[in-house]
Formats: sequence, structure tokens, C-alpha cells
Amino acid sequence: MLDLKQLSRSFGGVKALDQLDLSVRKGEILGLIGPNGSGKSTTVNLIAGLYKPSSGSLTFNGVDLAQCGTHERAALGIARTFQNIRLFANLSVWQNVWAARVVRDTGWAGLQKRWLSSGHIARDEVQELLAFSGLAGKADVLAGNLAFGEQRRLELARAAASGAELLLLDEPAAGMNAEEIDELDDRIRSLRDQGRTILLIEHHMELVMAVCDRIAVLNFGRKIAEGTPAQVQNDAAVRVAYLGSEDTATA
Amino acid sequence: MDFYLGLAQVIGVHTLLGLSAWCVLHTGQVSLAQGGFFAIGAYASGMLTTMAGWPLGLALPAAALISAAVALAVGFPALRVKGLMLVVATVAFAEIVRLVFFNLSWRVNTPTGPVGPDGSLGFGGIRYFPSHGWSPAEILVLIWGLVALVMLVLAWLDRSRIGTLWRAVGEDEVAAQSVGINLTAAKVSAFGIGGAIAGLSGSMFSHYATHIEHSNFTILLATFAIAYPILGGLSSLWGTVLAVIFIQGFLIEGLRFLGDWRSLLFGALILLVMLLRPNGIISSPIGRWFSRAGGAPVPTPKEKVHA
Repeated sequence: MLDLKQLSRSFGGVKALDQLDLSVRKGEILGLIGPNGSGKSTTVNLIAGLYKPSSGSLTFNGVDLAQCGTHERAALGIARTFQNIRLFANLSVWQNVWAARVVRDTGWAGLQKRWLSSGHIARDEVQELLAFSGLAGKADVLAGNLAFGEQRRLELARAAASGAELLLLDEPAAGMNAEEIDELDDRIRSLRDQGRTILLIEHHMELVMAVCDRIAVLNFGRKIAEGTPAQVQNDAAVRVAYLGSEDTATA
Repeated sequence: MDFYLGLAQVIGVHTLLGLSAWCVLHTGQVSLAQGGFFAIGAYASGMLTTMAGWPLGLALPAAALISAAVALAVGFPALRVKGLMLVVATVAFAEIVRLVFFNLSWRVNTPTGPVGPDGSLGFGGIRYFPSHGWSPAEILVLIWGLVALVMLVLAWLDRSRIGTLWRAVGEDEVAAQSVGINLTAAKVSAFGIGGAIAGLSGSMFSHYATHIEHSNFTILLATFAIAYPILGGLSSLWGTVLAVIFIQGFLIEGLRFLGDWRSLLFGALILLVMLLRPNGIISSPIGRWFSRAGGAPVPTPKEKVHA
């Protein structure tokens, strides 16, 4: 569904991402892990269109993403959450999700769709997503006034509302307690069960190992391993990357 | 009595001007071009009624459309830049407009003598109201009728999808893009609608003033335009109206004895509000009451959730 080929991105002289080849298959939960500064967030920003690649290509369902701006990628079916939460803080919880949902119905095609359909579809979908995120009771609260965990949940609901086939989750578990991470695990799985594909960038290893079908590991901008959670856990290069040296890894 | 009628006209026209800036501010853009669109509307409708002999009923919408068209043409390139650079770009635009009218001399002969813009001497003889027997009170009703109309349209827009998308862009451009909002479309549409409202406002100004000149459209006018929604806050249209009444009615007229010191107060007021109430003075409990009375901008779900 998403293919990255020889994707590189440099900032000044630093190669944040170095010739990454990665394929995300439809319907899977792919984990992308690696130490800090290994290029995970750069990868997300390249896929979402916030950065332009220095070289290499990205295709999504056969479409060359180089030609698409950020909002066009969202329209194609790529949505994301942010490592440092970015909500519409002075909009209500409802409006945050509503904005992401209704932008799909703008333009001429959208107008026709709205005239032909009952018009309640969008409203119902937003309700469903709020219920799914446990925020149904807070629809009128300003997003900026939510607790931290709720903000993360709202961001996920907003991303899902944009009709994404592919969800890029950038450290969704950061700052969450064990109970919240359990809920997140359930939510990620049910989003996949709804037919979405998920690219999960995460530091919380228990979550990654539990929920992902496959995992790719980055270090210094390069992919050093790829495989099932079990394969990756037993990979020597991964142990070195995370624990420093071969000796400590095997100790 | 005439003084109060005149003041009410000024307040009405400035309310329209403030609403035009309110529109643009919604998408997070600080534009000082509103005075320019106001000037274009003023000259365009004045020229249409005096030189082309159009009725006001046609000249008003035509001037609004012309201002909107200019706003769209300027908006596409100008809105590529943000923040301070956008402020600079829009100031430059407003000055260009002013200087064009400073230099524009185009007079035509009519049965009552030559009329039209006369460069630095200004554009006088816009006598549609007197020559059609409009009383000041009737003009006032027209102005405030337009204010009501624009407020209704904006309240509806704000509750609609477009308003939500505008606000989303104003909140966080990166997040807005990431959910699929076309930033250019959102900003330029707000700019165009704001341009139309400013044009309408300028039209009414030229017709009640009967004489306009370039010095009516300086940077001070643009500063007023942006100050109203900043003071009044974006949460409600009433905030802008109250801010205009406060600034024009109290600060400018009520404190007239202070002379030029009023400008100092005006600057201090904006600074204070930005520091103490960044969401506008009206975003207080009283303001929320007003915004409920005038139609809350928040589209809340009607049905109960069963899940």
C-alpha cells in the first residue's frame, strides 16, 4: 500500500534518513522503532508531506506522493497523530473531529454527496468516533482543556475521522500510564479491524511487541532489521543498537 | 441629534470594516489590507453612482464584488507568507491602493458639472443620497441593515463547515493540513469574503461622506479594522460590534478633548488587551452570554450518544 524506495533526507550535513526501503502492507500494523534520533519521526514527516525527501520516492496505492501536498495526502487516505500533540485547542472536542470529517465533503464532489445523502452521516460518524475514544461526554469541552490522555485519544479520533486508510501514529503512548496503554492497544487493534493500516512509531516496547504484526528497526537513519516481533527481538544488530554493545546484549 | 446620527453611521461603517478583519483573523492571518479594500469599495461605488449613473442598489454589490476580486487576486500570492511578513505585505498593498487613488484623476462631464476622482484633491460630489432625498436617519437604517445582514451571513458561515475549517486553520496550520484542509483555499476564501465586506463598508462610507480622499485610507484605518476583532475577540461577532462602539464612541468621540493623546490611549488599549485578555475582552462570561444570544459559533451535537 505504501512503498518507500531509497528514501533519504538530510538536514544540513546530517543524514536523518539514509536510503530507507520500507513497504507497508494493507491491513497490517507495522511498528517502526529505534533509538532517539534514528529517523523515525523524519520518516513520518516525509510520508505526511511536512518534509520533502532529499532523494528517493514514496508511492501510496500507486500514486507518487512527490506530487502531493500535505492536505492532498490526507485526501488520498494518509492521516497522522503528532509526537507533541497538535489539537485545535480553542475548538471543542466535537469540532476537532468534525473539521477532519467534513473537509472530505468540501469541493464540488462533496457538495453533490451532501445533497444526495441524508446529511446525518458525517454527524453520526463523529459521534461514533467520540464514543470509540471515550470522549462522547466531553463533546463540548474545548480541546485545550482536556487531560493529557484525553488529548491523545482525541488526536487519534481526529486522524481516524479524516477517513484514513493509513494511520501514522507518532509515539501515541508517550506519557501514558499502564492502564491507558492497555486501552490504546485495544484501540489500535480495533482501528485495524475496521480495515485500516497502521504505522506505529513507538518507544514503549511492550506495546510494540504486543500489537505489531511486523517491526522495522532504524538506527542512525538506516534500517537495521525488519521482521516479526520475535525475529526483531532476537536480532543481534538490534540488541547492539538498543543496549550499546554485543557484550552487554548477551550478558 | 445630528451628531449622534453621524456617530451611529460611523460606528455602523466601522463595524462592517471590523467584521471584514474578523473574517480574515479567523484563519489566523493578521491583515492590514482591509483599509485598502475599504478604499477600493469607496472609490468604486462612488464612481459607479456619479460617473456611470448607476443606482446605489447596483453599485453596492458591484463595489463589494470588485473588492472581493482584488482580495482574491492579492490573496493568492500574499497568503503564501505568514506572520510579520504578511503584515508587511498587506501594509504595502494598502499603501499602493492609497497612492493609486492619490494619483488617479479621471473626471467626466455630467449635467451638474464634472465629477470623478481628482487626484490629491479627492473625489467629491458623491451626492447620491442628497439628490435622491435620503434623510440621515434613512441612511442610518440602510447602514445598520447591511450590518445586520453581514452579521447574519457570518454567524451562519461560522456555524457551517467553512467556519469550522477556518478556525482549524487559525488554530494550527500543520494539524489542519494533516487532516486534509487546503490552507490556501481556507485563507484565500476568508480573505475574499473579508474583502467583499470591506468593500461594502467603503461604499457606504463614500456615500454618506460625499467627499473622499486618499488621506481617509491611511494605515490608521487598517489599524482600527484589525483592532476591533482583536479587542472584541473571535468567539462572537458581538465582540467586534462592542469594540467599535467603545473605540469610536468613547475613545475617539467621548475623549475628543484629549486631542491626539487619544491615539496613545488606543495603542495602550490594544497592548493591554493582548497582554491580559489574548482572546479578546469579550471572551468573558458576559461575552459568552452575548454570543449565546447572538448564536453560539459551536455546532454542538443534537442527538444523545448511545454508546
